[in-house]
Amino acid sequence: MAVRDQMTSLERWEALVRGDDLDRVPCLQFILGHTAVVNGLPIAKAYDDAEMSLACQRSAMEMYGYDGLVLHGWANAGGAEFGGEIEYPYRKYTGAPMMNKNPVQNEDDAWALRVPDDILSVGTIPIAHEFSRLQYEAGMNVTIQVGSPLTWAGSVCGEERLMSWMMKKPDLVHHVLRVITDFILAKAGIWVREFGPERIMAFDLCIETNVLYSPRQFETFAFPYLKEIHSKLTEMDVAIICSHICGEQNKNIPFWSQLDYGKRGFISVGREVSITAAREAFPDHVVMGNVDPITMQEGTAEQVLELCKACVLEGKDHPGGYALMTGCEVPPQAPPVNVYQMVKACREYGQY
Amino acid sequence: MSDAQSILAQMTKAVEDGDEVVAASASEAAVAAGIDPQEAILEGLVPGMVELGRQYEAGECYVPELIVAAEALYAGLDILQPLATASAEGKRNSGVVVIGAVQGDVHDIGKNLVKLMLEVSGFEIHDLGRDVPMEQFIEECQTHSADLLCMSSLMTTTMKAIKDFMPQIKAALPDVKVMIGGAPISQRLADEWGADGYGENAVEAARMAEKLMDIRAWD
Repeated sequence: MAVRDQMTSLERWEALVRGDDLDRVPCLQFILGHTAVVNGLPIAKAYDDAEMSLACQRSAMEMYGYDGLVLHGWANAGGAEFGGEIEYPYRKYTGAPMMNKNPVQNEDDAWALRVPDDILSVGTIPIAHEFSRLQYEAGMNVTIQVGSPLTWAGSVCGEERLMSWMMKKPDLVHHVLRVITDFILAKAGIWVREFGPERIMAFDLCIETNVLYSPRQFETFAFPYLKEIHSKLTEMDVAIICSHICGEQNKNIPFWSQLDYGKRGFISVGREVSITAAREAFPDHVVMGNVDPITMQEGTAEQVLELCKACVLEGKDHPGGYALMTGCEVPPQAPPVNVYQMVKACREYGQY
Repeated sequence: MSDAQSILAQMTKAVEDGDEVVAASASEAAVAAGIDPQEAILEGLVPGMVELGRQYEAGECYVPELIVAAEALYAGLDILQPLATASAEGKRNSGVVVIGAVQGDVHDIGKNLVKLMLEVSGFEIHDLGRDVPMEQFIEECQTHSADLLCMSSLMTTTMKAIKDFMPQIKAALPDVKVMIGGAPISQRLADEWGADGYGENAVEAARMAEKLMDIRAWD
């Protein structure tokens, strides 16, 4: 029998944000498609329908008993906002929105890239905006995706084209990154004005791994733009800044640790970056991670519980705070009992 | 160093540097100098890509460097391959490969790198692209009398397609070796699902393909 909680999820979340004492390690989730699946809906509903997405995420949170997060976004974002063709995951085996045609196909397209006049009308922004409005009305934190610019540039240009230009036409890549960064900052400004900075949780999903890019390439093409966005979000008094540092990014961590997260940031790391390494890099911020998503889908409940226990014990005494989370999005088809193991592990092994 | 050796060295360096202009001009120079096109490919272009593969495995270069090296390689191949095909003597034929990113998956950088390394190894490649229906893999293997089927997945949802279809693939293609790869895949899962091979990265995949075909180029 699991240990009884002493705080509600809301109390635990708010205490974590403030840096107050907690009853136990919180369980936060990066979870979208799975919440639609357990509600008996197509995965796409977590993405293309703001009202259903929010309802699915809230009901899954209540059912499992985890403490957050509720958000609208995905890794391969950005392309649709500049005119790309997006496909939502209705077909079998699809798991997240896909770019079927990148808006930038050649150098002329790239040089012509501009921030659209009416940001609220382009691509998936109307859905994201509606999602945020519903969060606001429900008294929740309002989430907004803010990059990363290099990840979005892959969605805008196509990853291979972008990589070739990084080597041969770096000025062109910097132009694309400049436009995307301006777009993200303009979008953030709209959100801050409408919902107030004190309610906003800005998050970036960043797939610029060291499987793809060298730390030098990260420093040149990712870091300056991330730094600018984080600094300006802090200047806007955005309440919470969160990064999902996806995949193998051990060599990029020294750059991530230089970013401005305000008083208390939230940093999620993949299974490839140890919780200990994240604790050392972010001593004052909340570290989240890093349960292996593959085990979440393919493993037994016992294996997942053991994995979660190891994460909880590695992270729970982090001075900046720690929350159990998967190392990337919870697989949509993960057995529900495996998702529950995360909450169970926090209750059984994460007591303070 | 003879003129021929100098041209071949220039081709190798052009691939290593990712310089498609020099790769093309050096390949034209090789033709003009009377170097056998197949020799120019194997002794000029391929060593450059092999060196880049070594550097990638050692963490000395990354995917952008591989991408531009591939562009240089293909710039040279565009000139030399039609001529080499016309005089096929000595042409390596490591086997026939059908390759693609599986149904529901549009991530194809890894698949393209594996394709590149397999081409360097002398395989005949039939690239089905991305988001390939599982049934199409079987049909294309039968059409091309494939020796090897390579499937990639980058997502937890699409890896299930491989798991679900593996029995059907093995039943329909008993003589075809099946390799799988991609971020969520591991040797353990490849073994569990009955795949014949797995590659941690593109060079490893090429090495495994050669092992399955009982040939050696990357060692």
